[in-house]
Amino acid sequence: MAHILDSFENALNELRRSVLTMGSMSLRNLEIAIKGCVDRDTDLCNSAIAEDDEVNELEMSIDQQGMEIMLRYQPVATDLRKVLAAMKIAGNLERISDEAESIARRGRKMNKHHELADLHLIEPLYEQARFQLEDALRAYTNGDIDLAVSVGEKDDKLDRAHRKLVKYMTSAMAEDSEAVKDYLHVIFIIRCLERVGDHSVNIGEEAVFMESSHDIRHGNVDKLEEEE
Amino acid sequence: MVVIPELTAPTPDVLRGSENSAAAAAAASLSAVQGRPEMAVEIRDFDFAYTEELALEDVTLDIPAHRVTALIGPSGCGKSTLLRCINRMNDLIPGAGVRRGSIRVQGEEILGRTVDVIALRKYIGMVFQKYNPFPTSIFENVAYGLRISGLSNRRALADAVERSLRRAALWEETKDRLHEGALSLSGGQQQRLCIARTIAVDPKIILMDEPCSALDPIATAKVEELITDLRSDYTIVIVTHNMQQATRVSDRTAFFYVGKLVEEGETMKMFTRPEKKETEDYVSGKFG
Ligand SMILES: Nc1ncnc2c1ncn2[C@@H]1O[C@H](COP(=O)(O)OP(=O)(O)O)[C@@H](O)[C@H]1O
Ligand SMILES: [Mg+2]
Repeated sequence: MAHILDSFENALNELRRSVLTMGSMSLRNLEIAIKGCVDRDTDLCNSAIAEDDEVNELEMSIDQQGMEIMLRYQPVATDLRKVLAAMKIAGNLERISDEAESIARRGRKMNKHHELADLHLIEPLYEQARFQLEDALRAYTNGDIDLAVSVGEKDDKLDRAHRKLVKYMTSAMAEDSEAVKDYLHVIFIIRCLERVGDHSVNIGEEAVFMESSHDIRHGNVDKLEEEE
Repeated sequence: MVVIPELTAPTPDVLRGSENSAAAAAAASLSAVQGRPEMAVEIRDFDFAYTEELALEDVTLDIPAHRVTALIGPSGCGKSTLLRCINRMNDLIPGAGVRRGSIRVQGEEILGRTVDVIALRKYIGMVFQKYNPFPTSIFENVAYGLRISGLSNRRALADAVERSLRRAALWEETKDRLHEGALSLSGGQQQRLCIARTIAVDPKIILMDEPCSALDPIATAKVEELITDLRSDYTIVIVTHNMQQATRVSDRTAFFYVGKLVEEGETMKMFTRPEKKETEDYVSGKFG
C-alpha cells in the first residue's frame, strides 16, 4: 500500500537509498583500510582516510532528509520508525567509517617500519566484523528480524576473539621490545574492529525496531521472543 | 423498525446531581492505577441507522472518565453519528434509531424512552465545529443555560458566568466587555465562549465535533490547551480530522471505518504501533 502523497513515498525511498549507499561506502572503507594495513599499501590507507569525508557528508544529508520528512509529513507508526531507524543507522555507519579511518592512519604509520610478522592475525577478526556488518545491513534491507537478532549473538564471539587476540599481542609485545609501537598500533586496530562489531549490533537493533517496533537494546531481546 | 430497549428505571441519579469533581478525578486516577479506569461511557454491541443501512455497526467501546478520547476515521464513517447517539441528539431524525445494543453513562442505560433527555444533555455537553454563539451578549450566552435551569439570582448568575469564562480561559479577554455582542469576538474566542456556555451548566462529559476545524493555528492551539486543561474535571470525546491534534490532545484514540470500530487504544500506541493494518494505513495516509 502506497502513501496518498507520492512525494512522501519518494522521500522515504530516497532516505532508504541513502542509508544503503552509506552502508556500502562504510563497508568499502573498512575493507580498504584493512587491505592498506595487511598489504602495506599506503595509497589504500590514504584513500580510506579521504573517503571518510564522504561518509560524514552522507550522514549529515541523511539527518537533513529525516528532519525534512518529519517536518513536512509528520510520519507516524512504521513510517516514523523508518525515519528514526535511518537516522540512527546512519550515525552508526559514520562511526564505523571513523574506525576505518583510524585503522588506516595506524596502517600508514606501520608501513614506515618493518613488517610485523603477527600483523596478518587481524584478518580473521576483520572477516568476522565484516560479516556482522553485512548481516546487519542485509537485515535492514530485507526487514529480516531473525538475521538482525543473530548479529548480537555473533558479536559475543567477536568479543571473545578480540580479547584473546589483545592478550596474545600484549605478550608478544613484551618479548619484542623493538616492535612495541607497532604492536600497540595492532592492538588499537583490534579494538577498532571490535567496535565495528558493536555498531553492527546497534544497526541490527534498529532494524528490529523498524520492523517490529520492539526495542531490543540493552539485553531486551527476551521481550521480543516472549511476544512472538 | 426501531428497537429501543424498554427502560422503566427513573432518571439515573448521575444525570442530576453534581459530584465533587476533585474526588471523582482522584477516584479515576486511583482506579487507573489499579488497572480499571472508571468508565464514563460504555457502548455495547451498538447498531444505529438513519434509514435501512447501518451507519454504525457492532460498536463496542469504553470511554474512560477524566480522559480525552479521540474519534478518528474518514468522512462518513460515523464519528459524528456516534457522538450524537451519546447525548441522544439523533432522536429527532425521523426513521433514525438505535437498532441494537446499549449505551451506558456512568453505568446507567441512556437509550430508554423514560430517560430524561434534558437532564442527559445537561450531563453531556456538546461543542460543534461551527461555533454557534447566540446573537446576544457574551454574558447572556453563558448565563442562558443557567437561567433555563432556574438560576435567577443576579449575584449567583454573575459568579457562575465568571467561573465558566475563567474555566474556558476566556475571562481575561472578556471581563471588560461582558455586555458586548458575542459575535464581535474572534472565531477562536467564540469557540471558547461556546465551551464556557457548555461548562456553565456543569456537565461531566463534553462531546466535541471537530471543534478546531474552522479555527486558525493560534486559535486551535488555545482550544487544544483548554481541552488538555479541562481533562481534570471532565470526560472529553473529540472528533478530529487532524491526526496531529489527536496525538497532542488525546489519551485514547478510536479508529472508525465505514461504521465500524476498527481499533482503539492508547493514543501513543495507536500512532506508533497500531495492531491493525487498516489503522496503520489510515494514520499513515495510505490508500489501497
Ligand atoms: N441526518 C442524516 N440522515 C441520513 N444519513 C445521515 C445523516 N447524518 C449522517 N448520515 C450518514 O451517516 C453516515 C455517517 O455520517 P457521520 O456520522 O456524519 O460521519 P462522520 O462524522 O464520520 O463524517 C454517512 O454515510 C452519512 O451520509
Ligand atoms: Mg462528522
